Amino acid sequence: AEFNWRFANLYSRGTAFGEVYQDLADNIETMSNGRISVQMMYAGEGVSTNGIFGAVKSGLITMGAPFQPMHAGEMPAGIVEVGLPGGTDKPAELMDLFYEKGWGDILKDAYAEHGLVWLDPYIQPPVYILTKEPINSVEDFEGLKIRAPGAYGKFLRNLGASPVNLTWGEIYTSLSTGVIDGSIGSNLIDHRDGNHVEVAKYMYRLPLAGAQVLPVIVNQKAWNQLPDDLKAVVSAATAVHAKEQLTKSREWEAKAVADMQAKGMQWSPEPSDADKAAWKAAGANLWEDYAKEGPYSKKLVEVLKAESM
Amino acid sequence: MTTLLRGYCLAVEFIVRFLGRSVAWLVPVLSLVVASEVFARYVLNRPTVWAYDLSLFLFAYIAALGGAYAQQKQAHINVDILYLKVSERTRRLFDLVTYLLAMYFMLVLIKIGVEQLEQTIKFNYRRQSEWAPPMHHFWVMMISAGALMLLQLSAQWISNFYSLVTGNELIEQQESKE
Amino acid sequence: MGIELLTVVLLVCVLASFALGAPVGLALGGIAMAIGYLTWGEGIFNLIPSTIDTTYFSFILLAIPLYIYMGQLLTRSGIGDAMFNASQLIIGRIRGSLAVSVIGVCSMIGAMVGIIGAGIMTSGSIALKPMLERGYDRRLALGVIMAGGGLGILIPPSVPMIMFASSTQNSVGRMFIAALIPALISVVSLALYVIISCKLKPSLAPMGTGDEANMTPRKKLLTLRDGVFSVLLIVAVLGSIISGIATPTESGAIGVIGALILAILFKRFKTSMFKAAGFETAILISVAMWIIFGATLFSNFHLMMGIQGMVASFTQDLGLPPIGVIIMMQLIMLLLGFIIDEFIIVLMCAPLFTPIAVSLGYDPIWFGILMILNIEIAVQTPPYGFALFYLKGIAPPGVTMGEIYKSVTPFICIKLAVLILCMLVPELVLWLPNKLMG
Ligand code: NA
Ligand code: NA
Repeated sequence: AEFNWRFANLYSRGTAFGEVYQDLADNIETMSNGRISVQMMYAGEGVSTNGIFGAVKSGLITMGAPFQPMHAGEMPAGIVEVGLPGGTDKPAELMDLFYEKGWGDILKDAYAEHGLVWLDPYIQPPVYILTKEPINSVEDFEGLKIRAPGAYGKFLRNLGASPVNLTWGEIYTSLSTGVIDGSIGSNLIDHRDGNHVEVAKYMYRLPLAGAQVLPVIVNQKAWNQLPDDLKAVVSAATAVHAKEQLTKSREWEAKAVADMQAKGMQWSPEPSDADKAAWKAAGANLWEDYAKEGPYSKKLVEVLKAESM
Repeated sequence: MTTLLRGYCLAVEFIVRFLGRSVAWLVPVLSLVVASEVFARYVLNRPTVWAYDLSLFLFAYIAALGGAYAQQKQAHINVDILYLKVSERTRRLFDLVTYLLAMYFMLVLIKIGVEQLEQTIKFNYRRQSEWAPPMHHFWVMMISAGALMLLQLSAQWISNFYSLVTGNELIEQQESKE
Repeated sequence: MGIELLTVVLLVCVLASFALGAPVGLALGGIAMAIGYLTWGEGIFNLIPSTIDTTYFSFILLAIPLYIYMGQLLTRSGIGDAMFNASQLIIGRIRGSLAVSVIGVCSMIGAMVGIIGAGIMTSGSIALKPMLERGYDRRLALGVIMAGGGLGILIPPSVPMIMFASSTQNSVGRMFIAALIPALISVVSLALYVIISCKLKPSLAPMGTGDEANMTPRKKLLTLRDGVFSVLLIVAVLGSIISGIATPTESGAIGVIGALILAILFKRFKTSMFKAAGFETAILISVAMWIIFGATLFSNFHLMMGIQGMVASFTQDLGLPPIGVIIMMQLIMLLLGFIIDEFIIVLMCAPLFTPIAVSLGYDPIWFGILMILNIEIAVQTPPYGFALFYLKGIAPPGVTMGEIYKSVTPFICIKLAVLILCMLVPELVLWLPNKLMG
């Protein structure tokens, strides 16, 4: 092919999500009539999931679908982009934020600073907390040790919980022995894949962030080499991909819940209005915290604030 | 010339040994940090935000910076099936070849380390955790670890080369030094 | 260059550098960066930061320094010896009994750690010296350490099992339980092998040196006390995992603190001992981590070039009967063990092979256990095996790689036999989880 690309994503070979990224890769090949060939790199296949951002930036990988919390130290604005705790769960509102209210332009600049082209983002289902004991009211979080990195940890601390730093490979054992009382997962599908329901049965009903928005990024130099028609092809393929993510991830989220329920997962009781208010309050002051992380974070949060007035 | 080479090798040996032994004192510190996190979480029910990254940093410092000292003590693992069967002279020749490869690797490591350090300073890179400690010192350390290894390898390379050419040891007391 | 040709070139370079006696980690990293430069260009150097992220920033690998340090403290304070001295007081009259107690201790260590490196290096730190001091055959002693330490990934908790289960969406708990009977078979057959071979060839394992027999009753009591306490330390470390005080990685630090307390209590704490333990640990950590770093860089390069695609198409294109496919996949994993490390074999092969095995009507848990058994063997088979390198690192000076290769051979045969047994009789793997979990 004229252009040989490598595309790294977060998921292992053979997973449902992995297939969606494969579809994006295949689409780019088909829509470009084979002028761009895309080799898929699944999780652990050469580049670590934490390292996708850096690998696309350096040009080792041409294209990547990273998860912002994994490179929060390199680009803090990504944490606001993916969705701070307490954000909306409505795709329409989110897309409005990105395409009408200016987030898209801010993020284009934020990524450009790192030599990255920011393509159509896509929505993935939200973050939920799984606990060993049912959560009957928000007060039950008091003193619970919950594995929750970064922004999610701060949120849970606001609710009185003790966030714990744990590597993914130790979550299962730690839930099982009681090192931790609960854990967040990137989404419900992640909880299912990690088999965490075997050792902790209760899923809390309120998600940590309404929905997560993830980027597709391309190395600027590789992008510049493409003729305009091929740039259009890649952009069009990512737009198709965003739609597929939205429909498929909803479908899989439902399936993951059914799978986990078959293994004994239960929802914690419906939270009261007071609980919901406490939940929202715990997220509110994080906006200020994260606005301080950098100029782009600040701009993104300003748009959010203007929105919520 | 011989004095100059000998001086270089002895100086490198001294620096590598000094730093290699210094980082060894981080081993008990590392254990203490991990144990204190267990204490903070289990007994006090207040997990720290810093122990996770701090323990990883300490681990990396010990492991990376100790590499050159391990090379000095010939502790790095090699497959010695053929190596031990050949003559001393051939063995030195083998070392000349393999150390070149290793030195090339270290040069690459240093080059990338410098590039990463530049990016890290430019964008104020940090760890992705809540504590978010800065990363610049880590890359300085990685560059130093690569440089130390490079120095150590070069000293051994020079001393091997010297004795292949002259037939004499560059540093006589090297064996009895332990 | 096609991936097939590249694989051959890489393999030749690795074997050549090994033959020249190159430091393994530096050579692997150097080869990856050199061949990478020639085939890919300077851009390949950017593989280094990402590789550093998965090696120097791996919390799972943190178990290695902590457990090595615990082992060093136990050995250098003499507490580790006490454990074996005490066992000799009790079962010293059986030939080979020390090696059998080493296997017992290794199994306990295996139950604490979830990765091979920590298992072998801890077992080696604690148990190699007592065996060699008592005149045990060096090969037997090394082989026992390797075989026992390798149990770390077969006896739960096991990081590769967690990785298998998550990448194939199977139950971790079921995997852990399924591993118990194969682990028990392994432990028993290792012990039997030691006892039988010592019986056949008494020179392998001398009977008690007489120390135990000539001890004063007071000395005997002290030895027993020290022995009991050191076993209690191991039980305490295990207990800290089971009771949820610490994760398997962190429990190493509990072991370190415990070893220090025991040394102080038994008046065996000396500054020189403390210093020496730290120095030796630092060297061993550096040795292990430079290998892991170089080797991971090597396999990351190979993966970037598409080795996984080659393996996938290779498996699919063979028109073999079902069991033939299973055997073929086992062989591929054994061969991959020549050049790729334990985690990456799981990450790569679990999602590639498991769906095929399931579509042929086999149970994924059974297949997963076969994979774990296989990896345990792959990392121990010459010329390239992490377990071999760890063992060399921990072995006393003067032990050659050739000797290590020879020492592990009978034990690899035993593990191979266990693998084949589990392959032929799936009930050995599946009966217990089905019974307990339905
Ligand atoms: Na284990
Ligand atoms: Na091998």
